[in-house]
Amino acid sequence: MSRQILDVILNATLQTLEMVFASTALAVLFGLPLALFLITTGPKGLYRLPFIPRLVGIIIDALRAVPFIILLVLLIPVTRFIAGTSLGTEAAIVPLSIAAIPYFARLAEVAIRDVDPGLIEAVRAMGGSRLTIMRCVMIPEALPGLIGSLTVTLITLVGASAMAGTIGAGGLGDLAIRYGYQRFNTTIMLWVVAVLIVMVCLIQLVGSIMTRWARR
Amino acid sequence: MTLLLDVQHLSHEFSGYKALDDVSFSVKKGEIVGIIGRSGAGKSTLLRCLCALERPQQGSILLNDIDLTKQNETSLTQIRRQIGLVFQHFNLLTSRSVAGNITLPLQIAGWPITKQKERVEELLRLVGLEGFGDKYPSQLSGGQKQRVGIARALAASPSLLLCDEATSALDPEATTSILNLLTDINQTLGLTIILITHEMDVIRRFAQHVLVMDHGRLVENGTFLDLLCKNRDGGPLQALLTECSPQLPPEFYKSLQPQPAPGLMSVLRLVLNDQATRRPLFSQMAELFQVETILLQGGITSLDNKMAGDMIIALKGERLFEAQAFLALKVQHMEAMGYVPADS
Repeated sequence: MSRQILDVILNATLQTLEMVFASTALAVLFGLPLALFLITTGPKGLYRLPFIPRLVGIIIDALRAVPFIILLVLLIPVTRFIAGTSLGTEAAIVPLSIAAIPYFARLAEVAIRDVDPGLIEAVRAMGGSRLTIMRCVMIPEALPGLIGSLTVTLITLVGASAMAGTIGAGGLGDLAIRYGYQRFNTTIMLWVVAVLIVMVCLIQLVGSIMTRWARR
Repeated sequence: MTLLLDVQHLSHEFSGYKALDDVSFSVKKGEIVGIIGRSGAGKSTLLRCLCALERPQQGSILLNDIDLTKQNETSLTQIRRQIGLVFQHFNLLTSRSVAGNITLPLQIAGWPITKQKERVEELLRLVGLEGFGDKYPSQLSGGQKQRVGIARALAASPSLLLCDEATSALDPEATTSILNLLTDINQTLGLTIILITHEMDVIRRFAQHVLVMDHGRLVENGTFLDLLCKNRDGGPLQALLTECSPQLPPEFYKSLQPQPAPGLMSVLRLVLNDQATRRPLFSQMAELFQVETILLQGGITSLDNKMAGDMIIALKGERLFEAQAFLALKVQHMEAMGYVPADS
């Protein structure tokens, strides 16, 4: 394999990692509060609210219902508004995050709901404020589940970022389509697939180790 | 003694089901109170009301002269810090170490960090878990977890300790050690303890003051000896006392006859208080009325550091009625169960 091809693959790998990690970071930043909001405002929650949590739930599910490739196209004006352009790796972070936020929010919601309600009750009975309950019970007790959710989100975004390649986001997906498919360069195609496999396996491995560490 | 807790006419309904129905009782400072009832008797609802997690629909709960039913959420949060709660399933945070779990109530109460550490050490010593501070709950046995639960409940120096089936998930050995620990705490700290359970045996060994609940109502209120002295006639008490009070052996039960006749022995259930257990009742009776006594079930046990007798006996002889009248004057409670043939 020539030096040139190696450079191309390395460059694409870095672009993919940038997209995946940046959008996952945004997904956690917005998705986790969203999950806490859904749980605490829902029935039996700490800050019960009528109809609002259900409305937010519907918006989340609507976003998740749209296939990513279509969301990508639909969001082009939004992307252009936020990133100034709809092309390139940075621009792709916008639709990727918007798809990842509701995805992670729902996964995190499941993880937090799994926390033994007895623990929440115990801290409530101690005179813990609602903020204490979220900070000292919900998040730390759900941590193994949250790390698992994070791992799944990262891996899903590796796949999604390849699709973003089709609208000019760069990265491994873009490389595989342009060189591998459109130019019939099977070698590059196979290299890209190999890199993706390694990437996904590594993310899963690190995720599993961290989950085990958090589970104690 | 002063009252710590005064509950008056407490009622609470869940969609038409009366979980609590006009419950009134009071608890003195330093007492150990046992609340017993079958599942669904309203124990848990009562507990949730006492620790201010549930607001009862009617009635009042005075804790240190403050009515819990009339406080807003903010002051209830403050009041909850004065009440320690011990759970059946421990409810320890798995993400925190033993020390971390015990520290949480102190953090909530806003103690300075150096004081928190001192207090945690002190509590670990109190519950017999020195050196366990850095372990995680998953590394502990059930009994040890409950010790952490108790240390956590005691952390912020509560004025009342509520134990919700605290020993029900433990093996007999751990149950004994936890009950001994709670008794020690009661004696050394003078802390008032309310223990909710469905096990009469725990009540017998532990509680000075017993409340029996059935279908949301308080049906008995007194000492364990008082309970033994009640006629059981198939009520909730009978079911609860089956395990820890003597029962007539089945073969006697079958041959039991309601009317006296020559050659029949009289079967009696007796409850004796501390004084009565120290008297030679049966030999006196033999001397006076030439009546032989056969012990069928039960004997003398210790209740709250006093002796108590709970037994079923059979009397054999000619002058049964005189002997019974003699006994009735000497014991706390006597219940004539019937007559059985002397050869059985």
